[in-house]
Amino acid sequence: MDPLLQIALQVGPFLFLLLFGFIIGTLVERSHYSDIRKREAKTRTLPVISFRRAPPSWQVSSGTLVSGSTVVSIDYFKRFLAGLRALVGGRIASYESLLDRARREAVLRMKEQAIASGYDAVVNLRLETSRLASSNRKGQGTAGVEILAFGTAVKRGA
Amino acid sequence: MDWEPRDFPENNVTDVHPLKELVTLVAGIAAATIILTLAIAFTLDIGMRALPAAWEARLFDGLWSDLDEVDDERHAAAVRLVDELALDWPENPYTFQVFILDSPDPNAFALPGGAIGVTRGLLDSVESENELAFVLAHEIGHFSGRHHLRGISRTLAVTVVLGAVTGGASGTMLTQWVSEVTQLGFAREHEEEADRFGLDLVEKRFGHVNGATGFFQKLPDANAGTVGRLGAWFATHPVSPKRISDLRRLARDRGWRASGELTPLDPSFYAE
Repeated sequence: MDPLLQIALQVGPFLFLLLFGFIIGTLVERSHYSDIRKREAKTRTLPVISFRRAPPSWQVSSGTLVSGSTVVSIDYFKRFLAGLRALVGGRIASYESLLDRARREAVLRMKEQAIASGYDAVVNLRLETSRLASSNRKGQGTAGVEILAFGTAVKRGA
Repeated sequence: MDWEPRDFPENNVTDVHPLKELVTLVAGIAAATIILTLAIAFTLDIGMRALPAAWEARLFDGLWSDLDEVDDERHAAAVRLVDELALDWPENPYTFQVFILDSPDPNAFALPGGAIGVTRGLLDSVESENELAFVLAHEIGHFSGRHHLRGISRTLAVTVVLGAVTGGASGTMLTQWVSEVTQLGFAREHEEEADRFGLDLVEKRFGHVNGATGFFQKLPDANAGTVGRLGAWFATHPVSPKRISDLRRLARDRGWRASGELTPLDPSFYAE
């Protein structure tokens, strides 16, 4: 076999995955961000605070637990960039936008739940992250990350 | 307390274009890898050339024991020929050993520690002692230039650095490929050097160089399969016709006789 063809066959699939990940990943990220910003603007009026108790002036009449959770995976391109970063250190910029989207999506889902149930605010907002182990390669590697946002939705009296 | 609605903070993502990040990382890591590999290969190369032959023999002792060496009645004659040829290399620090390998492909190897591997296919194909002598002298030439060790130092450097960068197992195919490519030009240079050394030994033993290139002439098609667009460049061993013409030119330049009586092989070669 021609050596050039041999090289192309070995490197080809990798380059394809890289390009595929980059194009699809970029398109998905762009549309997700525009969706997030739209919904954030819509839910802007619902106050969310991280204090454990609501301010006394709110005169809370009832409360319930609300939560929003997202599970994210990563595209091949971002994973490759992160792999290179792992060699030299520094900010893994390709993960930052991914986790930013996941966090905001989780908070949005929580807020949307609170609004849908007729609550006025959310207090004691908490964010939790957990890693989902991959089922392949003896459980090594990460299949994805879950981000959970939860808090107490309250109704304000008077 | 007053409450003012705020947008979600947008300060959590580094503002860098992913493609720029890719190019920077790939270029930086590639440059570092190349520099590191060269530095290690260079250091090892110096060490390998300075390595005393006695240490080398101890270091690689038993390394070749898993070769499928076979008993062959022609072994004694090959050993004798190697020893006689080495007499014309006064600086020889090695005690040579000869292994006969059970392979039909005519080939010979110089292995660390002073071992020369010869295939049965080679012993079957030679027609005169001059022919066999040149092949063996060529291998002795590899020891003279320490090529067998210097090749290892390159492979070792590439394996160590690429293995570390790619995380071991995932890089084996890449490592193999890169080390093969880095060996190519190097190996060809070594082959030519060993050819010149070998021809010199043959001339000293027989007083002429007739028959030396006989072995190559039997392999006109051996490299034909690899000769494609990049074939000539990818071939470790120079294509036979070029090697033959190089040797003829060398003989002419040194004033060595190109004709002379061929010495028959040891009787053990004819016993069936």
